[in-house]
Amino acid sequence: MITWMRRNLFRSITDSFLTILSGSLLLYVVWQALQFIFVTGRWEIIQVNLKILLVGRFPDELIYLLGLSILAIVFGISALAAGGRGTREHKSLTLLLWGLLQRFGLLIATGVLLIALGGDQESLLFGFYVIAAVAAGRIFGAIRKRTALSKLPGWAWVLINVLPALSLVFISISQAALEEWGGFLINFYLAIVSIALCFPLGVMLALGRRSALPLLRWLSTAYIELIRGAPLFVLLLLAGVALEFFIPDSITPDPIFRSVTVFTLFTAAYLAEIVRGGLQSIPKGQAEAGKALGMSATKITFLITLPQALRNVIPAQIGQFISLFKDTTLAGVALSVFELLNVGSAITKQDAFLGQGLVYESLAFVGLLFWVGSYFMSRESQRIEKKLGVGIR
Amino acid sequence: MSSLPSTPAKVPFYRNLTALKWAFQIAAVLLVFALLYWLYSNYQENISKSNIQTDLRFLDNPANFTIPGNDFDQSQPVRDAFVQGFLNTIRVSFVGIILATILGTLVGIARLSKNFMVRTLGAVYVELIRNLPLLLLITFMNLGVVLQAFPRIEDAWVPLDLFVVSNRGIAIPWYLGPSGQLALIILAAVVIAFVVGKIRVRQADKSGKQDRAWLYGILTFALILISSWMIFGYSFETPLVDGRGTTGGLRIDPSLFALLASLVIYTSSHIAEIVRGSILAVNKGQGEAADAIALSGSQKMRLIILPQAFRIAMPAIGNQYLNLIKNTSLGATISYFELTQVAQITVGNGSPAVPAFTLTLLVYLGISLITSLVVNYFNRRLALVER
Amino acid sequence: MSSDLPSERGPVKRRSLQIVAVASATALFLAGCATAEEETTTATTDQATTTETVVEAAVSILDSVKEAGSVRCGTRDALPGFAVLNDAGEHVGFDSDFCRVIAAAVLGDASAVEMVDLETADRFTALQSGAIDVLVRNTTWTATRDGSEAATFLQPTFYDGQGMMVASNSGISSLSDMNGAIVCVAKGTTTEGNAALESSRLGLNWEVRSFDETDLILEAFLAGQCDGWSSDVSQLTGLRSSYPNGAAELVILGEVFSKEPLAPAVLDGDTAWAQAVNWAVLATIQAEEFGITSANVDSIRSSTTDVGILRFLGAEVPGSDGAAVLDPSLSLPTDFAYQIVKQVGNYGEIFAKHLTPLGLDRGLNSLWNDGGILYAPPYR
Repeated sequence: MITWMRRNLFRSITDSFLTILSGSLLLYVVWQALQFIFVTGRWEIIQVNLKILLVGRFPDELIYLLGLSILAIVFGISALAAGGRGTREHKSLTLLLWGLLQRFGLLIATGVLLIALGGDQESLLFGFYVIAAVAAGRIFGAIRKRTALSKLPGWAWVLINVLPALSLVFISISQAALEEWGGFLINFYLAIVSIALCFPLGVMLALGRRSALPLLRWLSTAYIELIRGAPLFVLLLLAGVALEFFIPDSITPDPIFRSVTVFTLFTAAYLAEIVRGGLQSIPKGQAEAGKALGMSATKITFLITLPQALRNVIPAQIGQFISLFKDTTLAGVALSVFELLNVGSAITKQDAFLGQGLVYESLAFVGLLFWVGSYFMSRESQRIEKKLGVGIR
Repeated sequence: MSSLPSTPAKVPFYRNLTALKWAFQIAAVLLVFALLYWLYSNYQENISKSNIQTDLRFLDNPANFTIPGNDFDQSQPVRDAFVQGFLNTIRVSFVGIILATILGTLVGIARLSKNFMVRTLGAVYVELIRNLPLLLLITFMNLGVVLQAFPRIEDAWVPLDLFVVSNRGIAIPWYLGPSGQLALIILAAVVIAFVVGKIRVRQADKSGKQDRAWLYGILTFALILISSWMIFGYSFETPLVDGRGTTGGLRIDPSLFALLASLVIYTSSHIAEIVRGSILAVNKGQGEAADAIALSGSQKMRLIILPQAFRIAMPAIGNQYLNLIKNTSLGATISYFELTQVAQITVGNGSPAVPAFTLTLLVYLGISLITSLVVNYFNRRLALVER
Repeated sequence: MSSDLPSERGPVKRRSLQIVAVASATALFLAGCATAEEETTTATTDQATTTETVVEAAVSILDSVKEAGSVRCGTRDALPGFAVLNDAGEHVGFDSDFCRVIAAAVLGDASAVEMVDLETADRFTALQSGAIDVLVRNTTWTATRDGSEAATFLQPTFYDGQGMMVASNSGISSLSDMNGAIVCVAKGTTTEGNAALESSRLGLNWEVRSFDETDLILEAFLAGQCDGWSSDVSQLTGLRSSYPNGAAELVILGEVFSKEPLAPAVLDGDTAWAQAVNWAVLATIQAEEFGITSANVDSIRSSTTDVGILRFLGAEVPGSDGAAVLDPSLSLPTDFAYQIVKQVGNYGEIFAKHLTPLGLDRGLNSLWNDGGILYAPPYR
């Protein structure tokens, strides 16, 4: 202990000075934070508004649909994760639990916090349902290996696990109008829909930019550079006042439609650059080998280089997703989408809380949710990066 | 791509690779143009229906608003307002880039410190800030820090009697007189100090002694400033609280402070990660070689590691600079009068939306392009000449 | 219009989620090709709809409103007295009632109105793009807006003026005490320019700070970032009445430094619709002049012998060649005034219901024969 301290804290006089300085700063921040959380913070503003912070004005009688969707998603992901594990080293139970805690501790803690804030039986019950869904998913995944299910092709297995979740999400969308969605839910919705929609466009742009055909290359490059030179916020503002001029009258764009359009077009340019980087990282020999087998250029791209490139850039794609996820807050100020940050500032203006300086509580809560979301994703992305061995080879 | 074996028989056009390639290209281009035309015709149709302006005539209309902290008059044309907004964007970007680079580098080094406390503090800072939306930081800075935590002007903080901090802005001591002159002298001083430093390095290389170029540079800089002060006799003015505001000194608008602080904090957390990664990417042998010739810790960092790390980091840091510039547009959310805010206000006052925002986008595009040209230039200058 | 929205976006969403599903597998490029094809097909179908709308363009909004069976009224949801949401999520207020007046006049049903909440900066774009039929959102009638925003302004519903609100304990009793003051206003409004103009006119050197929304000005005002809060007097009165520290903390200065006629606006070039909206508003004023209220309209209609009132209410007027109903050919139902008064009320009733509780006086907004400037052209 003392050696550790001497080595890590007090190597020299300047070092000791730095230790004391940064240590006291750290202590001060932690002390202030703790005091805010447990003593001075007035968290009733969050408790009262928990629902609109999380899901906006989503109709109460349909909220079970959201619950079911979440359970289905959790189930699907755990089943897929269980199925994906190839070699399973035998670890002791404590080690296993410790690993799980490291990976998911943050999510679990946030879940517990939300249940505590919700403070009713239903939220507690829902917490148990989530745990049950995780367990069921793992079991279902494990069953696959031992039964005839293992003969299913990979895509069918993915479909089995994804389809229920997807259909539930669709039912939710068709039942509750998107205008009623809000809060954290809409941030997720915007990010996921936009990243999915931008994928084809992004990949095409990347291929276009690397194409040997000059016209295609110029067009793709022009698009990518134009978009990358423009601030997202201004694009959103422009879409807010001008999108209706560019589309036929039969479509009346609502704020969500506008933001999805902008996020999609915007992210496609960045995704294109990521994919291009991935394509560049594929050794020439791969394409040459394809050529030696007599494959056409199209086949080489779609069967050899692109799949490898996409796999290599998964961490970068997650990074892009994280920044899109954080940028969805801009839709709130630019287009009045009722997203989490917007809700967070709106609740401080309710008659019961107006002018009481509760902006700290509401922003802290909003910040916590965003922080947990993106920190968890970036940790997962690092894990995948290690697993893929990108940059090591 | 693939070279076909030359065949005597004429290849039919549908098997001719060149023809196919061109056909594909033309089809793709036609598709794009069809899309553009479709958008344009929709635009024309909608515009003709509603009889609104589509040109830049609105730039000559009177602006009808004032800009805080600027003698811009509300009867001046919108054009001038755009120029002021542009200058403010450049101002924030420039100062922001410098501060974010310094802070980011320090934090990046701190994250690799052997000192546990420093390392932890750096890690907490980076991981905390990096995973928050920038808009949240800006909102927090504006509503939480400037508006609520800073005192009212009646009970302003006056640290050292030099600064005045209140929720109406921060005032700092500032030079009295023509600012162009001072800027010129500072520029000259920087250049001369730099040259002196270089000369010292060259001398030191010959004599084999320590160069202490930094010390010489700073001394030269100070010397020039002090002597010019003796000659011209600058006076500095410290701000004073005066009823509703402050007089004297330089007043930093509260929204400018909030914007600048959040941009610097946010971008520095990203730069710190880049710097850390680049330092780790510098070949281990380099550090070991520095140890072997008994360079001190700071010498090793300054002379061996950082120059190489910056070479690696340059493209990524350049991207962060571009992000910072584009992110200044968020100043509009807290009413800092930069380009986007000007566009938003003129549109609210009756300027046509599409031309106004398109103009704004083009200006940002120009700034981005020039910045990336500059970054690329330095990048090429720094890049290792490969054998 | 909005009802067919989900079906418009249905395929897009389904496609997007398909892609999510497939993205997790390896066959990504297939999705890419599929989407590219779909995009071209949607493009061609949309082109077809464009040509259709060209044909429709000549049709008056009046007809399309009648066909749709509801008026899309551009409004807002957070201005006390003029338009706020009540607990049931309905729009309540002076402006909202004038939206209902228009619906009652055109469709005979005051509830046949779709309220579209707009940001200050978007309101004219919404009008230009046809997202709304009429704008009733505290909008000041100015020459520039009349000209370059493609808006036609009609009979003002409220004659307002810009004023200044300060803290009671600030020691400010008139504008001239405000030298060097920080004046906070809402962004993108005429208020901004007026404040700057007044400052230079009086040589007061104000710093005009603009904020995105009223609530932000409130925060800034509470925190002491602003010395004065400038806006239309009607708005200031409403804001003062709901000030969290109590209305006594604030004073509205006596000086009014601009003319702000708040008027409904419609798109340029549609005379039939403009006349319909205009006469709907004028009818509320005329009804007050006649002394007709929602409570007595039925009895007056059945008992009065006043020819002017009978004409106005669309009742049969005895004439030389038998009884006849006056139809001034406004493309409105002949009993539109009756429907307005019956279902919503006359001008005085609407004012008393929403603005008097805020502490606003009738002032300029009294009838012409009562010291104000409200004056409706004769209905004959």
